[in-house]
Amino acid sequence: MVKMRSQEEVELNLASMLDMAFQILFFFVLTFKPPPNEGQIKLRMPPPQPVIGVGQQSAGEDTNKDPNDVRPVKTLTISVLSRDGGIENIFVGVPPEMHPVPAINQLDDELSKYFKGSGDAFEQVIINASPELVWSELMRVVEICTNQRFSNGEKLGKLSFVALPSSQQP
Amino acid sequence: MAGKRMGGVSATPNLTPILDMVFQLITFFVLVINFQSAELDLTLNLPVVGSARPVLSNPTRLLVLNVKDDKGKMSLNIGGNPYPENAIKPFLQVESTGALKAAGMTFDDVKDGSKELPDLMVIRADSKCPFGHIYYVINACQEVGFRNFVLKTAPAGAARKQQ
Repeated sequence: MVKMRSQEEVELNLASMLDMAFQILFFFVLTFKPPPNEGQIKLRMPPPQPVIGVGQQSAGEDTNKDPNDVRPVKTLTISVLSRDGGIENIFVGVPPEMHPVPAINQLDDELSKYFKGSGDAFEQVIINASPELVWSELMRVVEICTNQRFSNGEKLGKLSFVALPSSQQP
Repeated sequence: MAGKRMGGVSATPNLTPILDMVFQLITFFVLVINFQSAELDLTLNLPVVGSARPVLSNPTRLLVLNVKDDKGKMSLNIGGNPYPENAIKPFLQVESTGALKAAGMTFDDVKDGSKELPDLMVIRADSKCPFGHIYYVINACQEVGFRNFVLKTAPAGAARKQQ
């Protein structure tokens, strides 16, 4: 009697399960979005601190007289002025001494001079830009900045942004 | 009845292989599904930067901020939802409070720079967006203690497409 029972064929109806599986498959096919091919520039961007030029602070000077005072830091400043959204002028330097850069192609060479000379002395690098400047133009400047290397071979990974007063304002 | 008249031959197809194949496909889609794509505004034309690195998987929490210009006004999209300009600061304040709590820090810790929030702010800005809009967003993030940013770019090959 037991043998007869085991010989009976039991057929599962897979059609309903297949229907359900196809439903799920269609859902995934319709909602599938391949991730876009994107790159990224990773930066530490602390808020800018008050500026002091390299060499302006004498050795042994007490900068912590008042604990509430914010200590000015040695800063390399890159100012990018805009006209109609594009780059009009670029100035590089340690305030108040700012030097014009004739074209963005020469910005890399200009920055290299600062980084090879006293790159390690800069505690922050600030990019001042006009608010009308379009992002793609500013990213060209950011790219050149992030390709700079300190004397120890480390890439510049810390930047701060400042928006200059709008030129359209009276 | 017709089957029986023909001699009782049943013509049930064997569905097991097709079911196997469908399950394979479902498994594939489940594995490659990317919920982060829902946070991306794919209408943006990102600036083309040749030296940008490809995206690496990052274990830290990240917040994707899509910024573009809409007829002179800032258009901000976070997590697939549009946000008006005046809503970004309260939103970031809430995010910052959650991040500080998760990291076991206080706002004073990040304010004096002794500690940093590990969270990444991902800025996806349109290439034609004025810097003023993006600066507003970056500044709002900095005010509540976020310091680590990722600027999204398009690869160099995308330049031809944008033109």
